[in-house]
Amino acid sequence: MTDVTLTINGEERSASVPPETSLLRLLRDEFYLTGSKLGCDVGDCGACTVIVDGLPVNACLMLAGQVDGRDVVTIEGLATLEDLHPIQKAFEEFASLQCGFCGPGVIIAAKGLLDRNPDPTKEEIKDALSGNLCRCTGYTKMIEAVQDAARILRGEKEAA
Amino acid sequence: MEMRAFDFVSAENADQAVSLLSEHGPNVIVLAGGTDILVDLKHAKHDPDVVVDITRAEDLKGIEVNDEGLRIGALVTHTQIMDDPYIQENFPALVHAAHTIGAVQTRNLGTLGGNLVTCVPSMDSGPALMALEAEVTVAGPDGTRRMGLEEFFVGPRKTVLEHNEVLLDVIIPRKNLGKPTDFLKFGLRKGQALALVNAASALWIGEGNTFKDVKISLGAVAPTVIRAAIAEDFLEGREITPENMAEAGRLAVEDAKPIDDFRASASYRRDLIAVLTKRTLDNAYRLAQGR
Repeated sequence: MTDVTLTINGEERSASVPPETSLLRLLRDEFYLTGSKLGCDVGDCGACTVIVDGLPVNACLMLAGQVDGRDVVTIEGLATLEDLHPIQKAFEEFASLQCGFCGPGVIIAAKGLLDRNPDPTKEEIKDALSGNLCRCTGYTKMIEAVQDAARILRGEKEAA
Repeated sequence: MEMRAFDFVSAENADQAVSLLSEHGPNVIVLAGGTDILVDLKHAKHDPDVVVDITRAEDLKGIEVNDEGLRIGALVTHTQIMDDPYIQENFPALVHAAHTIGAVQTRNLGTLGGNLVTCVPSMDSGPALMALEAEVTVAGPDGTRRMGLEEFFVGPRKTVLEHNEVLLDVIIPRKNLGKPTDFLKFGLRKGQALALVNAASALWIGEGNTFKDVKISLGAVAPTVIRAAIAEDFLEGREITPENMAEAGRLAVEDAKPIDDFRASASYRRDLIAVLTKRTLDNAYRLAQGR
């Protein structure tokens, strides 16, 4: 077994799992954080995107043992009890999602972008979301929502 | 897709990685960024007894200029290459090549060393480095050895690495620091696409506007990334003209052995080789004029 202790959404968590457990399985099966989705499981679809030490990565492509001691943020770490995160609100306002399966990964990828680049161009947003597949709605409304969330996070616009 | 059972050990540095690989070998595998290895483990292409994680080995990280040239640690990620101010200034082709790999999530995980060691013919890290005559350092139980990429690459998914060896770093020799270089990839999409063909050219402008030390490298057109020696020999010392660049493109096709597969036909790849070779030469020349 592999023992891991890591910070998830600001809280220290520990688990003992078989070495062949991916970070995604660790999050979903050990900690019941099922917001990160198991889609392709090979790094193509982005539905499992989480932020590790500040950078968005595919949780399906890391082993649990690799995240021992590291800092992980999942979709569950964005909203507070009072309020949704501005990116989540923008996705709601712009009706950016249909079935929603890709949503957690897309929103986390967008957060990864805005944390590093608060004022991205449309091209930069497309680049940042190119690792996330949506099979229902398309990407236009997601890009618009990220642009809007960026304006809110920069303080140029009041949240809806 | 569940992975089969294996043991997991983590190495703190390169020496420890070599010891662990020797101790647990031969059915061991090195894990760095994992963007290829995890997929292979899930598809049971590998069934190792032990996985040696090297992602915590600090001596395999870092980008710096030293007496030998530019050293890029094997664990440097594609994102770190894109973000490095020295590489941005001196080797825009390396930034562009890194940017064409996968997507943000995989570029944050995937490493330069992993891309070279996995050794798929369409790797995007190979051509620009090979055109810049990059060398790699390999560490094993008997110490380290240094070789060019042409020697390091053996075949599709096969390098010279033994089971108990690790790639330490990539060195671009001092004579080539800032050498004008261009990289182009032709894929079917911008994101998450493998190259149908990729190419890189590096050159200096010699006396009388001639090609000097021109190096051309091609990917996805042979069992490994290759140098286009026939095209290079033709250009060396010749005047830099659009006609000579086009002729080099035609000659580069002779250096390659493209195959038909589900991504493209060999005939289409031959056309791409000629066009990409010409364009990378032209772009590298423009870059050289601006220096």
